[in-house]
Amino acid sequence: MSKSSRQAQQRAREALEAQRKAARARRQRFTIAGSAVLVVVVVLGVLIGVKVAGGGNKTPAAATSLAASDVVNPLTTVPVDALNQVGKGQVTTLPSVTSGQTMLSDNGKPLIVYVGAEYCPYCAAERWAMVQALSRFGTFSNLGQTHSSSTDVFPNTPTLSFHGSSYTSQYLSFQGVETETNRQQGNGYAPLDKPTAAQQALVNKYDAAPYVPSDAAGSIPFIDFANKAIVSGSSYSPQLLAGKTPAQVAAALSNPSDPIAKAVDGTANAFTAMLCQLTNGQPGNVCTTSSATAYQSQLHVAS
Amino acid sequence: MSPAKSAGRTVTEPEPLAPPRWPGLVTLPISVVGLAVAAFLTIQHYTTAIPLACPDTGIINCTKVTTSAQSAIFGIPVALLGLLFFAAMVPLCLPAAWRSTRPELRWGRLAFALIGVGFVVYLVYTELFTLDALCLWCTTVHVITVVLFAVVAMATASTGEANA
Repeated sequence: MSKSSRQAQQRAREALEAQRKAARARRQRFTIAGSAVLVVVVVLGVLIGVKVAGGGNKTPAAATSLAASDVVNPLTTVPVDALNQVGKGQVTTLPSVTSGQTMLSDNGKPLIVYVGAEYCPYCAAERWAMVQALSRFGTFSNLGQTHSSSTDVFPNTPTLSFHGSSYTSQYLSFQGVETETNRQQGNGYAPLDKPTAAQQALVNKYDAAPYVPSDAAGSIPFIDFANKAIVSGSSYSPQLLAGKTPAQVAAALSNPSDPIAKAVDGTANAFTAMLCQLTNGQPGNVCTTSSATAYQSQLHVAS
Repeated sequence: MSPAKSAGRTVTEPEPLAPPRWPGLVTLPISVVGLAVAAFLTIQHYTTAIPLACPDTGIINCTKVTTSAQSAIFGIPVALLGLLFFAAMVPLCLPAAWRSTRPELRWGRLAFALIGVGFVVYLVYTELFTLDALCLWCTTVHVITVVLFAVVAMATASTGEANA
């Protein structure tokens, strides 16, 4: 065999090998691309399959957990200066003051009754101010941390829960009732706390005209300030809290220029004005601050 | 072609192939349609002048999806992110871009398509399991993004030799 024919054979072998390598590389590229597309289709198919199979009937996030310290601490220790600067803040609806009603009490202390539900976004908004105001007169323990329903309006509004919590104060008594969870069950939500007969009687009587505007009758949250003032519905829009974590909401309360602080602290100041009248101005270090007196003329309780 | 004869067989040495025309002809219209739908959703996000033309009760509920807390990421509306995605994909899917041998175009287009489809998976999960509602317009964008990813991936694989 001549040298030139050997060289030609060598070139032919190399060309054949190059063709095979190119074909292998092409197959490999198609395999990778096809696999990637397949993975995407399978993942989307699984998501849809799980949903269709009923996985979507459950609320994705954990229902209620114990409130974290980075939520409770900043919520219950907002600096007095910040509260004073907020003053009246931006509150849409104030408590309706009653007249001629005997003060509701428990163990000799004015009794505040709250009835709401964990799924309810308006309750979610209102609890922030409730906890802050009541914490100026006493101490909560075992507060829950949760969010409103993910399928209702203002979905997943961050909040606390009174379910399983307790409140101690030398000035006030408090009863918090969460009638339903935020977990869907059938066409509604799973039941939670059952109001006592006395609590239900308060709802029946005071969550109705003339104690609350007729268009708010039967609404939750329902808050009875010892029968001297009633809240039915939220004092500000839950929209303000949209997309925030509980820790972010709590942290915002110390910044008087934050819209969340204006709404939550302002509502808490209104509640504090009510509570100070129920406790005859006790404790003095709370009830003499300008934040506690900001609403005093508007929310004057008849004795 | 440069055939070499060997033992009675003709072996063709591999040569760079001409880039196929179909990727540009397929991906460009898909990107343009995606851009149009994303533009509609973005305009609708910033103004209520244009109705969504979508049911707002039951599982199909565009308003619930487009006004939810999940409709923005780090304060940026998801609709706007979709618009930016397709605004980037349109030039990347021009026939001239597919003919280009520049690796940054080839890999950039694939990377964008991959990011887009990853986002779609997240958004579909959010719609199904967090919001419990589907937005028809968003679903249209999701389908377009998945199809675009599939075509870009396969076209990138098929143009390997041509652009190598």
